Amino acid sequence: MKKWLIHDSWRHLIGISISLFALFPLYLVVISSFSSSGSLQLTSFIPKEISFKNFHLLFNNPAIPYLTWVKNSLVIAGSVAILSVVIGSASAFAFSRLAFKGRKTGIQLLLLVQMFPAILAISAVYVIMERVYKFAPAIGLGTQAGLLLVYLGGAMGVNIWLLKGFVDSIPAELDEAAKIDGASAVQTFWLIFVPLAAPVLAVVSLLSFIGTFNEFILARLFLVDMQNRTVAVGLQQFIGGQYSQNWGPFAAGSILASIPIVIIFLSLQKYIVSGLTAGSVKG
Amino acid sequence: MLTYLIRGKVALFMKVILLSLIVAILLMLAQSAFAQREYVIALFLALTIFVLTITYLTKVSIPLKFFVPGILLLIAFVLGPILYTVTMSAFNYKTGNIISKEEAIVQIKARAIEADPSGVSFDIKLGKSDGKEAILASDVAKSEYFISTPVSRIPIAAGDVTLDANGVAITAPNFTALTNSEFANADKIYSTKHFMYEGKTFIALEGFEAGVLSRQALEYLPASDEFRSLIDGSIYRDNGRGNYSLPNDKTAILEPGWRAPIWFENYTKIFTDARVRGPLVKVFIWTVVFATATVLTTFALGLLLALALNKPIRGRRIYRSILVLPYAMPSVMSILIWGGMFNTEFGAINTLFGTHIAWFSDPNFARLAVILVNLWLGFPYFYLISSGSLQAIPSELLEAAAIDGANPRQIFRKITLPLLLQILSPLLIASFAFNFNNFNLIYLLTGGGPRNELDGQIAGATDILISYTYKIAFGSGTQDLGLASAISLIIFVLVASISLYGLRKSKVLDTFA
Repeated sequence: MKKWLIHDSWRHLIGISISLFALFPLYLVVISSFSSSGSLQLTSFIPKEISFKNFHLLFNNPAIPYLTWVKNSLVIAGSVAILSVVIGSASAFAFSRLAFKGRKTGIQLLLLVQMFPAILAISAVYVIMERVYKFAPAIGLGTQAGLLLVYLGGAMGVNIWLLKGFVDSIPAELDEAAKIDGASAVQTFWLIFVPLAAPVLAVVSLLSFIGTFNEFILARLFLVDMQNRTVAVGLQQFIGGQYSQNWGPFAAGSILASIPIVIIFLSLQKYIVSGLTAGSVKG
Repeated sequence: MLTYLIRGKVALFMKVILLSLIVAILLMLAQSAFAQREYVIALFLALTIFVLTITYLTKVSIPLKFFVPGILLLIAFVLGPILYTVTMSAFNYKTGNIISKEEAIVQIKARAIEADPSGVSFDIKLGKSDGKEAILASDVAKSEYFISTPVSRIPIAAGDVTLDANGVAITAPNFTALTNSEFANADKIYSTKHFMYEGKTFIALEGFEAGVLSRQALEYLPASDEFRSLIDGSIYRDNGRGNYSLPNDKTAILEPGWRAPIWFENYTKIFTDARVRGPLVKVFIWTVVFATATVLTTFALGLLLALALNKPIRGRRIYRSILVLPYAMPSVMSILIWGGMFNTEFGAINTLFGTHIAWFSDPNFARLAVILVNLWLGFPYFYLISSGSLQAIPSELLEAAAIDGANPRQIFRKITLPLLLQILSPLLIASFAFNFNNFNLIYLLTGGGPRNELDGQIAGATDILISYTYKIAFGSGTQDLGLASAISLIIFVLVASISLYGLRKSKVLDTFA
């Protein structure tokens, strides 16, 4: 036997066994999505057939508006990702760079607020948006616009906090030099900070995108209408009722919806890990 | 070019357009909020408009221009709900006590109608008389007919009406029956009306074709804020807790009640009322066990992997990409998939091990499943950060220990692990705080179950504090928003203390404390 195999065998043993643990559910979903039985059963490890029935069902069954759900998720998560970073980075810049009264208190308050788990205020959000619905049906409970606003507000705390940490790390000499050259705060922000921070802004916005895409319970409470749902809510409701029939399309649907997220995640791994070590945990 | 965009006239023009658009929308919202008597929301919107215009049209403060939009959003959708949670926690705010006192009084009056003891009823036709809602009532047995509106009653001679096959009057002078299209919306209008009869009795509709002689059972006395029974004269007083009740029998309350301030009662109830405290203590213990077990298992497995792969062995990159997959998958999907895998009949877990375990029906198996799934979801995170931190430990330290004759186990226990724990303790604490509120996992995997159906409690064996609170607020039985808010705030204090302790350890606070 080769030397490396003997010497490192315990490492490979651990690596392989835990990899199997990691892969097992994912493998199961993949073979279920290509099986025609429509259940999440483990009949054999090697699939006996490859059927596209589930994928076909997903796109052609009017009772499952899967593409609409995907579109909803993309629109909502995309808007939150862009808007929260645009608004959040301006606030972060102010907190990090500009001198004003009560800045310290503001930062401490921000720290406390971003620590508040959104889920704890969920009944309050629900009741408030129910009341908003009575005078503004377009942005109240049950609407995507309302959900978007709630997400946007919720993303603010963490995003301002993360981005502030980044702005702090940009050397102050840069904007001092700009100031001496006569640049206003607004110019410093747009001409110095934004170009420098562009990669970080992209990462934070993609993180917001993943976080929003993954959000479940608010979307569940808000989006009652079938056509309005996000992928997560749609697919969950879909297997909620009848048990084994719907697992096939569910498997197909969740794989398709997961692929972009997994790709984004893997390509951002480095940033995500460093962002996490800065003290936040993915939901 | 960019400078031009920021400073030029185009920019100013765009700014003004955007600002006027936003202000116009907010103004519209504020008006309709005011019209709907949502004064707090209207006030907030008005302040928002004020702040926005001051900030962007004057040169009061440059920092304000930067953080006003973010802070306004934070106030509206994070701080506002937090304050609202605090407010709700001081109220008796639950099923049966949802509406305001004014609405409750209206509803009590509307409900306090009972059939007259005489048991008289009439056959009726819905219609209009002189443009007002009216009914044409027939007493078939006595051949008596009359038109009744909420303000008048006019007897009609038998000769002036036409009768249908059953002897019910269908036309009369000065009475037009409803057309079919009017009929569709008639229910709401006619069912709440009191059509005049004699004295204190009136006719209330029962369906569209019958009216029952009824009387008001309760009367409201605004001066003393009491309801008086018109039957036996007993008095119902505001009991200070959101209901009108008899002074000597507190259980005899009038429905519905309203949301009334009860100050700290929701909090004291948590600690003193055994029916609330009992399940809550059980849930709390499981929450702590669950969060602790999750942190320990995910950290142990992640660290084991990090140690095993801390050497450039063959295929390390492949291992790495496979091992982060559970973390990269959207967790909602993977939790649902695991839920399917634990199914007793078809589930892959039972098939794989040849067992027939009812995972989600047995409390201990359900708890085991929850921890196992969370291990799968969470170990890649600790693998990633442990391998990062292992690199950060200076190799001189380890080499020096090896030269001094320490074996690998000793090196790990005396040097690597203590150092790692020191580096990672803030993250371990953050993970504990996160899992303390890991609502999605519990809600999507077990729904908090299994619950003991026999004692009728809503708390299940795998319910953590937050999922239990959700059930209290949105469950199928009595929804108690006041109690749920009080528990939420207690959870927040717990979690915030844990997180602040963690932050202090990571020294983030030192930079501006």
